[in-house]
Amino acid sequence: MIKVKNLNAGYGKLQILFDVNAKIEKGKITTVVGPNGSGKSTFLKTLFGLTKIYSGEIIFKDKDIAKVPPHQKARMKIAYLPQTNNVFANLTVEENLKIAGYVLDKDKVKERIEIALSVFPELKDILKRKAGTLSGGQRQFLAMGMALVRDAEVLMLDEPTAQLSPKLAEVIFEKIIEMRDNFGLTILLVEQNAKRALEISDNGYMFVSGRVAFEGTAEELLNHEKFKEYSLGITAV
Amino acid sequence: MVKLLLKDLGEKMILEGAIIYSNLLVLLALGLTLTYITTNVPNFAQGSYAIVGSYVALTLLKLFGICPYLSLPVLFVVGAIVGLITYLALKPLIKRNASVEILMIATLAIDLILLGVIGAYSEILSQIVGSTQAKFVFANLDFSLFGFKGILFVSTFVVILLLIGLYLLLYKTKFGIALRASMENPSLAQTMGIDVEKTRLFSWILSGALAGVAGGLLPFMQEIVPATGDLIIISIFAASIVGGLRHISGALIGGYIIGISESLITYYLASAFGTGFLVYGKVISLIIMIATLLIAPYGITGVDWKKLKRLLSTS
Repeated sequence: MIKVKNLNAGYGKLQILFDVNAKIEKGKITTVVGPNGSGKSTFLKTLFGLTKIYSGEIIFKDKDIAKVPPHQKARMKIAYLPQTNNVFANLTVEENLKIAGYVLDKDKVKERIEIALSVFPELKDILKRKAGTLSGGQRQFLAMGMALVRDAEVLMLDEPTAQLSPKLAEVIFEKIIEMRDNFGLTILLVEQNAKRALEISDNGYMFVSGRVAFEGTAEELLNHEKFKEYSLGITAV
Repeated sequence: MVKLLLKDLGEKMILEGAIIYSNLLVLLALGLTLTYITTNVPNFAQGSYAIVGSYVALTLLKLFGICPYLSLPVLFVVGAIVGLITYLALKPLIKRNASVEILMIATLAIDLILLGVIGAYSEILSQIVGSTQAKFVFANLDFSLFGFKGILFVSTFVVILLLIGLYLLLYKTKFGIALRASMENPSLAQTMGIDVEKTRLFSWILSGALAGVAGGLLPFMQEIVPATGDLIIISIFAASIVGGLRHISGALIGGYIIGISESLITYYLASAFGTGFLVYGKVISLIIMIATLLIAPYGITGVDWKKLKRLLSTS
């Protein structure tokens, strides 16, 4: 679905990603793990055009989209959900869902909202509430529902379970699986909850200091020595 | 009850003037707040936008005999064009994420340019018409209804009409919701496929249009000279700041608070201490603005009223 070739990127003059090569398989869940500051979130932002790309290619459907601005990437059916500020707090839940379908025509938006509400029925009772008044879990449901409304093919999630209870995190993971299985979404997931994320994933990447330290299937990564060291490192901290 | 409040004709006229002034201030503060929210630019040229509208209205009157009230749609368009040109001029700075201070100075420069253009234009118009047009009023052209000035009815009608239009745009159209989304979180709006650039451009066009209309009405209540914009900008900023620069409704609230306060307090001070106080009307606006910045820096709409209510009820 997406191929990344020799990607170098960062913020202004501060380079974060170095010679990254990766491929995101269509209809699969790919998880990116790594310690804090390893460039995981920057990788997602770079794919969506929110960072400075110095060199490299991002091939999507046989086209290099490295220089395409974010709002045009959104129209190419790529959805990016930041970790925080991923809903419009001053808009109602319903307005958030509508705005997610901004580039679609009216009937399509209505159809997509129905689909989003079928995956996230929790949103039905709170459509008129301001998004800023939602709980963390509700907000995350809304953000993911918005991705469904967009009729995206690729969904990039930046730590969707951050600051959620383990129980809610599990619900989020189940929704992610449902979106892959029922809608054929290609999902790229950045998670601190690395073990659990890899357990629901097909493929995995491990980033260290802005470079790809490991790539392979999620199972391979789970059993890899580097990953165990990383997990142990987390425990030590 | 109303008669008790209006002890004499003077008070009635002052209250009338206060409402008219507040109406115009609302239109101008709305534009200022709109462009500040969308592009982070505090537009010091907002006042001069209005005066461009005033002089266009004067031109249509002198050269074509068109009543200024009928010119308002034209002024809406002219103001929109001025807003558009300003945005295009500022765009390179905004793109480079220039600091608020730099953007502020840029709008001051634009204000001075507008002042120069207006001044030069008034001289040209004076030559064409054969009498000085550097200063003018429209008050003598106004009609009267039930003992009140026509400008009271027209300005109130225009404000209500434009507010309804703005409400319908922002809350009932797809573009309007996108505009509100862009105001709140431009980078998130981009991830939805919204072209944030278009919403910014639209905000500046709308800001200029509202100012143009306000400028067409202003000569009915005060004398206009090329530099009038630099005088009213004080009250425009006070209105936006008092109401809260982060929410459009703040301009509405702030506009009426500052407009009515400036008019009535100045009047009562002048009644009590002498007519010399009439020239210090702007001090009232500035005092209220400073008090707001000290007590509630984000303005009335920025106060967490629920929290405040809770605090007051528990103490």
